[in-house]
Amino acid sequence: MSRTQARRQFLRDLGISSAALPFLVGLPSWSWGQAPGAARRQRLVIFFSPNGTLPEEFWPKSYGVDQPLELSPMLSALQPYSQQTLILKGVHNQILGDGDNHMRGMSCLLTATELSPGNIQGGGDTPAGWASGPSIDQQVRKFLQSREETRTRFGSLEFGVAVPNRADPWTRMCYAEANRPLAPIDDPKLMFNRLYGGAQQRQLVASVLDYVRDDLRRAERLISREDRQLLEQHLQSVRQLEQDMAAAAAQAELQHPEPEIDPTIELVNDNTPLISRMQIDLLVNALANDMTRVASLQYMRSVGEARMRWLGVEEGHHSLSHEPDNNEAAYDKLKRINAWFAGELAYLAGRLAATPEPDGSGNLLDNTQILWVNELGKGNSHTLSDIPFLLVGGGAGFQTNRALDLGGVPHNRLWLALAHGMGDVELQTFGSEKYCEAGPLSLG
Amino acid sequence: MLGLVDRHWRIKSCIGLLGPRGSLAGSIRTTSLGGWAAIGFCVSSVWVLTILTAACCWAAQTAPNPPAGAADLGRQVYEQKCASCHGPSGQGVEGVYDPALAGERSVAELARLIERTMPEGEPEECVGPEAEAVARYMHDAFYSPSARLRLGLDPPMQVEMLRLSVPQYRHAVADLLAHFTPAPKGKEEAQPVEAGLRGTYFASEGMSKANKLVDSRLDRRLEFDFGEGVPFPDLPPDQFAIVWEGSLSVPETGEYHLRVNTPNGARVYLNLDPSKGLHKLRDDSAAAGQFPLIDAWVGSGTVREESARIFLLGGRHYPLRVEFFKYKEPTASLRVEWKPPQGVWSVLDGQHLTSGRSRRTFVVETGFPADDRSLGFERGSSVSLDWYAAVTESAVATAEEVINRLPLLSGVEPLTKEQLNDPAAKAARVERLQAFVARFATVAFRRPLQDDERARLSSGLFVDPANPETAVRQAVVWVLCSPSFLFAELPATEVGPLPTGLPPANLVANRLALSLWDSLPDEELGRAAEAGELATAEGIAERAQRMLADERTRFKLRGFFQRWLLLEQRDLAKDATLFPDFDEAVAADWRTSLEMLIDEVVWSESSDYRQLFTTSDLWMNDRLRQAWDVEPTVPTGTELKSSSTDDAGTDDAGTDATTAAAASPAQDTQLPAVFLRLRPDDQRAGVLTHPYVLSALAYHNNTSPIHRGVFVTRSVLGRPLRSPPVAIAFENDEFPPDLTMREKVTHLTKDASCQSCHTIINPLGFALERFDAVGRLRDTESGRPIDTRSQYETEDGEMLAVSSPQDLAALALSSAAAQRVFVAQLFQHMTQQLPGAYGPDVLAELTEAFRADQFNIQKLMVRIAVVAATHVSQTPLESSAPEASAPE
Repeated sequence: MSRTQARRQFLRDLGISSAALPFLVGLPSWSWGQAPGAARRQRLVIFFSPNGTLPEEFWPKSYGVDQPLELSPMLSALQPYSQQTLILKGVHNQILGDGDNHMRGMSCLLTATELSPGNIQGGGDTPAGWASGPSIDQQVRKFLQSREETRTRFGSLEFGVAVPNRADPWTRMCYAEANRPLAPIDDPKLMFNRLYGGAQQRQLVASVLDYVRDDLRRAERLISREDRQLLEQHLQSVRQLEQDMAAAAAQAELQHPEPEIDPTIELVNDNTPLISRMQIDLLVNALANDMTRVASLQYMRSVGEARMRWLGVEEGHHSLSHEPDNNEAAYDKLKRINAWFAGELAYLAGRLAATPEPDGSGNLLDNTQILWVNELGKGNSHTLSDIPFLLVGGGAGFQTNRALDLGGVPHNRLWLALAHGMGDVELQTFGSEKYCEAGPLSLG
Repeated sequence: MLGLVDRHWRIKSCIGLLGPRGSLAGSIRTTSLGGWAAIGFCVSSVWVLTILTAACCWAAQTAPNPPAGAADLGRQVYEQKCASCHGPSGQGVEGVYDPALAGERSVAELARLIERTMPEGEPEECVGPEAEAVARYMHDAFYSPSARLRLGLDPPMQVEMLRLSVPQYRHAVADLLAHFTPAPKGKEEAQPVEAGLRGTYFASEGMSKANKLVDSRLDRRLEFDFGEGVPFPDLPPDQFAIVWEGSLSVPETGEYHLRVNTPNGARVYLNLDPSKGLHKLRDDSAAAGQFPLIDAWVGSGTVREESARIFLLGGRHYPLRVEFFKYKEPTASLRVEWKPPQGVWSVLDGQHLTSGRSRRTFVVETGFPADDRSLGFERGSSVSLDWYAAVTESAVATAEEVINRLPLLSGVEPLTKEQLNDPAAKAARVERLQAFVARFATVAFRRPLQDDERARLSSGLFVDPANPETAVRQAVVWVLCSPSFLFAELPATEVGPLPTGLPPANLVANRLALSLWDSLPDEELGRAAEAGELATAEGIAERAQRMLADERTRFKLRGFFQRWLLLEQRDLAKDATLFPDFDEAVAADWRTSLEMLIDEVVWSESSDYRQLFTTSDLWMNDRLRQAWDVEPTVPTGTELKSSSTDDAGTDDAGTDATTAAAASPAQDTQLPAVFLRLRPDDQRAGVLTHPYVLSALAYHNNTSPIHRGVFVTRSVLGRPLRSPPVAIAFENDEFPPDLTMREKVTHLTKDASCQSCHTIINPLGFALERFDAVGRLRDTESGRPIDTRSQYETEDGEMLAVSSPQDLAALALSSAAAQRVFVAQLFQHMTQQLPGAYGPDVLAELTEAFRADQFNIQKLMVRIAVVAATHVSQTPLESSAPEASAPE
């Protein structure tokens, strides 16, 4: 989203023009309280971290339908939610075609379809362009927005953390449609404004209206009687504006008040941990207030070179991921990096778990499907097989507290299962059709 | 609704406004009323009759010879020959001739009229010195505006306090931010500004796109088809990149669409911030915080078209940068097109591109309710919630812009890491930001700040030392929502005129900027005010003269001509079977052609109003030449001209001799957009016969002599028309098909009640009947010859034969009322006030000066600007403050 577009959105949210009201109250899901017996609010959150994982540290020791899940130490942060966790091994991104593995890993991950031929050259293979189809989160969004009872103000929100401000197949995983990537918003201020800009701007305007009133009163003394009428009209407008804003503020009152965001935070690498938490807070808040039911949270990008000094890691993440397995120092650092991502995921799950559903039927995590995804199986081999898929929460109704080794299935089938789990049971294929023949994975 | 407006206007502006002004208001109102526009035949109202249009009776009296004293003579003649119908002091006689004798005519004009028409039925009874004497007597005793003011017949008019109109608001905000925006710096400063963009061509290697600079050249037209080849021999055919930089000049305010068409990678940055540095080609689409308008960087193996829209303010240049790269695709091509608000898609070329650098212009995009137009011109004379909400919304958006560009605009950098824990550094930064917002407010308010305003902008708002940005944001919103910004002339303290009798210099500067630019004084004007250059009328005139050269003045004047020629928001669509050569593109080209005609006249040295009616050439480009089948040869004595107002790119053959060889075929020396001055026929008379005007004043399938006649009557000749007593729709189908348009109109207006006006309207419209509904010359209509001859009665009662546009032009040029209405309309457009508010004789004096200046439009603009700038209000303030309305 360009700055201009973002601004336009804010202004619409401001609530001082009548055009804003439908956005505040016109949507059914905006009103609180749910009719008894209404379907639960299923939600989807895609959580992305880049550059592959450490398979030895990620995958559990045992798999099976009846085996309770045992998380490996690198994922220990997720221990409190292991009952609601499902790990899927043997799910491959089998999409071939143009682009190197990082590009296809990233841009075919959620789209499960080939890249368009293009002019972007990776570290080998042929140049490529954008993905040639929509991503699964957008598929789900489209489905939910198509129905009155699941429609929300935003439909989906794309969050980012430390995503470089460039648009290419390595930095985009969400696609509205073929060749239409969606840019994640990695600035909490921008996202905050997008979500709550109206209220902020009302405050801003309200804070100076007293001054304006003083100005008008003083001016009245200095002009002729005929001209005073105009100032009187002005004063009335100021009053009316104040009343309208107060009314808009009341209507827009949130069930969950917006989180505090430090407006001065700088978008620099070293602030990443802070920004990550802010974004998660905003994300959970948006879900809790039912502004959206689909969200994604993208950390960095494929081939990202984040320097995670807060973990004592000075090297860039991508460079480290290329080191051979026997480089113990690098291995240890990658372990810390992935453990940190697990920790952020755990924070997200924890925030959701701590937020009750408005109708009292459990908490948000019970109805939210989190998917932790990665563009590669393993960093130094660039494999697109055995992508570390880790699912938390009950959004899609999958059976959790277990790990499954599916032995090598195209990930298209996982996305089909997800779509069906989110209610879109009519969906026959997703992405490249040839990988969909066996239908959705059975995870229920 | 209309009635209310009329009443309001009558009360507020007094009934002394006759003739030209009344007609003006009426004529423009027609265009703004949908209901009326639908009734093609109606002419809307003037509510005040003049003595001059209605038939009146004259009590014939034979009088003895008057005594010799001229003043006495006049009075005696009046009493003997006039008073019985018009009353002893021109107030009218009920049942005989009701309307009062009042108006704007000069003594000479009155004398001519009397000589020809009065006493009614026996005009020979009052001629020569006698007619002149009675005219002078009437004029000075009760007819002229100043006489009526003196007699208390008309209340004095006041200059009304106005808020900024919507265009003024947009320009003022843009220039307020421009005031703080440093001019872009660049190495190529010394290079001349030319039409086109400067293209730099790089060899690439891998994904290093700007690997090696190979060459640069001026590219006139953003349409390239390199095929499998290269723009320069030294470039590798599979990998190269190009960056074009320069400016886009924007003719009008509105939504612009741009689109890019390429199989390769391309980005368009428009209205970027060139000071922020965007030096080399980067993968990063938002390099240095700049956001591309169109990002088509990533290919998809096919030719793609990406488009975007942007709201731009007319009369300005916007920085433009286009980036392109080819990487292993089989072919390379790029086309960048735009669609202006009233135009059609066309490739961006030297008509609107210049190689010069410009500053980012912040444009308020917020939609505003339309300004009041009840007087026939837009003024900020009302305040509504909608308007104020729009003001607030754009203030918030402006604050966002200020915060985003704070270091650049304020010169205050963010704190460094070391300074974060240094209270002194923090305090110093806060102080500098306070100084910035104080300067911001001073520029916005166009006056020095009051003490309490200063206090607000420091201790009042900067309460949280940790977060001065919030205070800056609040300050910007307050300033832009404050009446001191929104009202053009709101005094901060009681200030009277200076001992020189002139207003204070900052007020003069403010008024000059408003009347000529619709904006705030710029730095130079501010300096002139401080240096005492605005302390004399001469100094002010000299400054106004210099301000004419500004692009904003030209833009404002273009708006005037659109209004004067009734061209705003015109739908020119024509019947495609009747006029297959007339489409949107042709209409847009004619619009350009008309603008060129006007610009050429107005901005030439003589700036001669008369040439607007005498120019016999038309500017035509390829498309127009083809549509009209005109030989594309350049007549001797005419020159090539680009339509851009800065006249860049006039020479098409020379400059690029060295690079022309390397240019692709699309960069042909003969640009399709080039307009030539041609004479397609020998019947043209300037704007009166310009195809754009004639097409606008016509039906979609036929001419409209009434629309054309009303236009000539009111806008050109300045004759008042009453509203039609009955509204009659023109139904072409109701007439037998073999009738000519003239016959249909004659039939339709044959009633006596129509004839009082249509004896004037019809002859003028019929004189243009040789031009069809798209303004093209024709000899026959439905196989029958066209009769353009009529007898026309002038306002002086003279009967003249008119049959051609040249006759109409001659009428216009010999008519004092025509000149007066032109002056009045220009005055209103510039000042948004009625001339009478500046003094009863201002209009007469300006019109006289206009004649003395050989009808020089530029000099007229200067004179009007001076009148407005030097005005000193005569209204005393109420002695005590009004009771402030109850605080809630």
